[in-house]
Amino acid sequence: MKPSVLPAAAQPWVWIAAAILAVLLPASRAWAQAPACRPPASLRFAGMPAVAFPYGRFKKPYHLYLMSPRAVAYDGAARSVPKANWRRLAAVKLGFLGPLQRQYANSVYGISMLHGAELALAKANRQGGYHGKPFVLDIHNDKPLWGASAIAIVHMRFRQHVWAMLGSVDGASTHIELRAALKLQLPIVDTATTDPTVTETRIPWLLHNFPDDRQQGYALADYIFNQLHLKNVAIMRATNRYGRLGFSVFFDTARRMGHPPAVVLTFAPYQTHFGFLLRELQQMRVQGVVLWCGARQAGLIVRQMRTLGMRQPVFGSSRVAYPELITAAGVAANGVVAVSAINPDSSNPRWLQFRRRFVHRFHSQPGAYAAYAYDGMTMLIGAIRKAGLNRALIMDVLRGYQMKAYHGVSGTAFFDNTLNNIAPVTMAKVVAGHFVYWPEQRTDWRGHRWPACLEAAN
Amino acid sequence: MNRKTRFRLISALVCWGFVSSLAWAARAASPLPPFYTHWVNYTAANGFPAGEVYCVAVDGQRIWAGTEHGLVLIEHGRVKQIFTRADGLAGYAVMSIAIDRQTGSVWVAALGGLSRYSAGKFTRYTVFSSGLANDLVYSVAVQGKYVWAATAGGVSRLNTWTHAWRIFSVMSQPSAPFKEPWAYALALGARKIYMGLWGGGVVVYNQRRQTWRPYLSPSNSAEILLYRNQGLISNIVSSIVHRPRSKSFWVGTYFGLSGYDGRLWHNYLRQDSGLASNFVNSVALQGRRVWAATQRGLTEFDPATHVWITYRPANWRALDTATPPPLGRGEILITAPHRPPRRIATATSLAHNYVLGLAFQGRDIWVATAAGLSHGFASPTGDQHALR
Repeated sequence: MKPSVLPAAAQPWVWIAAAILAVLLPASRAWAQAPACRPPASLRFAGMPAVAFPYGRFKKPYHLYLMSPRAVAYDGAARSVPKANWRRLAAVKLGFLGPLQRQYANSVYGISMLHGAELALAKANRQGGYHGKPFVLDIHNDKPLWGASAIAIVHMRFRQHVWAMLGSVDGASTHIELRAALKLQLPIVDTATTDPTVTETRIPWLLHNFPDDRQQGYALADYIFNQLHLKNVAIMRATNRYGRLGFSVFFDTARRMGHPPAVVLTFAPYQTHFGFLLRELQQMRVQGVVLWCGARQAGLIVRQMRTLGMRQPVFGSSRVAYPELITAAGVAANGVVAVSAINPDSSNPRWLQFRRRFVHRFHSQPGAYAAYAYDGMTMLIGAIRKAGLNRALIMDVLRGYQMKAYHGVSGTAFFDNTLNNIAPVTMAKVVAGHFVYWPEQRTDWRGHRWPACLEAAN
Repeated sequence: MNRKTRFRLISALVCWGFVSSLAWAARAASPLPPFYTHWVNYTAANGFPAGEVYCVAVDGQRIWAGTEHGLVLIEHGRVKQIFTRADGLAGYAVMSIAIDRQTGSVWVAALGGLSRYSAGKFTRYTVFSSGLANDLVYSVAVQGKYVWAATAGGVSRLNTWTHAWRIFSVMSQPSAPFKEPWAYALALGARKIYMGLWGGGVVVYNQRRQTWRPYLSPSNSAEILLYRNQGLISNIVSSIVHRPRSKSFWVGTYFGLSGYDGRLWHNYLRQDSGLASNFVNSVALQGRRVWAATQRGLTEFDPATHVWITYRPANWRALDTATPPPLGRGEILITAPHRPPRRIATATSLAHNYVLGLAFQGRDIWVATAAGLSHGFASPTGDQHALR
C-alpha cells in the first residue's frame, strides 16, 4: 500500500473534524448561556399572537415593517449639534403636556401623570440633578380641542428650550406632538396614551411605555375566547378617539380567532342612560359584553344591565379597572373583568416604596398613570445624565431600550423595535367589591419562559 | 397545423421580435439624465443658519430656504437676508414656501402660522387672526387666487381676492373621506387638490364637481405590505406631487415610495429598488423623473427606464455621529435593470445624507438637507458620456 503523501493538515478527516468543531463550538457557547428573555411571539410585530396576524391565513406579506432594529433609526445631523454647556444653565428643562384642568374628563389621568413625573423629578434633584443643576418641568395643559394644544410643543422647543418632553394622554395630541417632534428633533416619552398607532409611524423620537390597546386587545381576546371559551360577544364603546381606536384591535383579533363580535354599539362619552342600547343587546342573546370606555360609564352600563336582568359577564379595557367602576355600579360590579395597566397589590419593593412616597406627598393612592409617568421620567432623566444635553444623543440612549427590559415601579416593561412596551398586562376582577389582580397568561405563551423570566429578572 | 397557420404564426413572432428589439434599442439609447457632479453648500461656514433646512423654493434668480431658524433669502450665490419672528414671520421653523407667480408674494408655512411676504413686509395668519385651521402649518401652495395650507387641524383655503377662508377637515366636511384630520402635504392639479394626510392616506378634492376621492392603504395594517403594488403603500403620507396634465401622482411616505399612474399603483422599497431609504421626506417631479428626498440620500427615478440614481456624501455613515468628520467626496449610485450597480465618486457632495426637500432652477438643483442647503450643477454632456 502506497503511503499517503498528503501533509497532515490536508487530510480529509482533519477538515471534516474542523468543520464539525466549527459548528459545535459556537453552538456549545449558546447552550451555556441562558436564553434571552424575549416574548415567544417576538417574530411578530408587537408580540401579537399568531392567530391575530393580518391576513395570516391567506397570504404571507410581501414586506414586514417595524420589525428590524432600524424601525426607528435616525440618520440625521442632530447628533453633531454641540452639547449645551450646563454651567451656563440655571436648570435643565423638561416639557410636560397633559390634560390638567379638572373640567376635562381626561384630567384624572393627566393630574396623576403630572404627580408621577414630579415625584421622579424630585428624586432626581435630591440626587444632585444634572451636575448640580435642577431638573424643572415646563408644564402645558392639553385642552380637549387638541388643535389648541398643538403649538405647545413649538413653545417648549423654541421659547423654553426643553431637552425632551413627557405626554400626552390623548392619542390625537400625541400624534400632533409626534409629527412636530420629527421636524423639531425633540425626544418624547409618552407614558399615558393607549393609542396603538403612535408607535406605528416610524418617527424616531418617541418612546412609549403605557400598555397600548394592542396589548390590551390581545389579552382580552385570549382570556374571553381561549380561556373562558365564549363564542359570541358584543362590544360597547364610547365615540371618542379612545373608544374608536381602542376596540379595533380586540375586534380584529376576535374576528381572526373565528369569533367576530355580534355587534358594536356606540355611545357618546357623556351619556349616562344606556337602556335603549342594552335592550337591543338583550334581544341578541350574546354571551358577554366588552366595554371600551371610562370607568364611570362602565359602572353605569353594568348597573343598568343587571337591572334589566342581563347576567352576561362583562369585560373592559384598562380605563374600566378603576374604583369609579365600583362606585357607579355598586354590587353589580362584582364579576367584571378588565385589563389593568398595573398591579396595585404588587409586593415589588420598588412599587411599595413609590406608593409610600406618593401617598406621603399627594395624600392619595397612585394609579397606573402616575406609575408609568414616574418610570418614563426616570428613564428620561437617566438618558440625559448618560448622553448630556444633546437631544439626538438623549434619544439614542432611549433607543438603546430596543428589545430590552426596564424594571420600574409599574412593573417590568419590555420594549420592541418601535420602542413600544409590549410586556404582559395585568388582569383585574371585581370580587366582593374589590379588585383582585393576576398577571396575564396568554395561552400561546404556555411552555415558554416568557413572561416568567421577566418577573424573575425584576 | 397547416402551412398557412404556420406562416402566420412565424410572421407574428418575427413582428413581435422586431418591435420589442426596437423598444429595447430605444430604451438602451435613451440618454441618462444629467448627473449632478458639482455641489456648492450653504452652511454656517458661509453665513447660512446652522441646523436643519426643511424646504427650498426657486423664484427666478432668488432662492428661498426654510430653516429651523427662519426664512433665508439667497441671491447671486450669497445669503442676502435671514427673516425671523422678529421680522414678522408667523412661526419659528419654516416648513414650506410657495411663490405666487401673479403677484410675486412669497407664502411661508411655519410651525406657528402662515405668513405672506409682500412689498418688504410680512402679514401673519394664525388661528386667532384668520380662518387657519391650526398654527402648525406643514405645506402651502398657490393656485391662482387661492392659497392652500396643510395644517395639523385640516386643510385651509384663503381666497386672496375676498379674504374668505374655508376649512377642509373631518369637522367642517363630515361627508369628506378624511380618516384623520392631520394634513401634511398638498399638490395642485388643474381642477383637483391632492391632500396628503398623516394616517389618512391621500384625499383628492375635485373643485369643479366638489367631490372627494380617498386613496388608502388597502392592507389597513401599518406593520405589513401585503402585496407589492397593493395600492397606496402606507396611510402615513409625508409628501405628494402631481404630474401636470395627467391623473398620475407620486406619494412619499415613511414606508416607501408610491406612484399612481391613473389606473395602477407602483410601490418601491429600498429592498426591491434603488431607493436610498424607505423614509421619504419629500417627493418632486422633473419631467417624467421622480425625485425622493430620503434620510439616506437623494434618489432620482426614471419610471420609463427603471434607472435609479442616488446622491449622497461618500462618508455619510460617519456624518450621523456626535463628532462627524469633515464633508468629503460625494458619491452617485446608479442602479439599472440587468446591470450591476455602479458607484461614481465626485469631488464635492451634498451637505448631508438626510434630505428634506428640493427644487429645480433650470438644469440646476437646490437641495434642503439636515446640515445645510446644497446647490447642484448638472454635468455637461461630455462628462455624462465619460460617466457612462
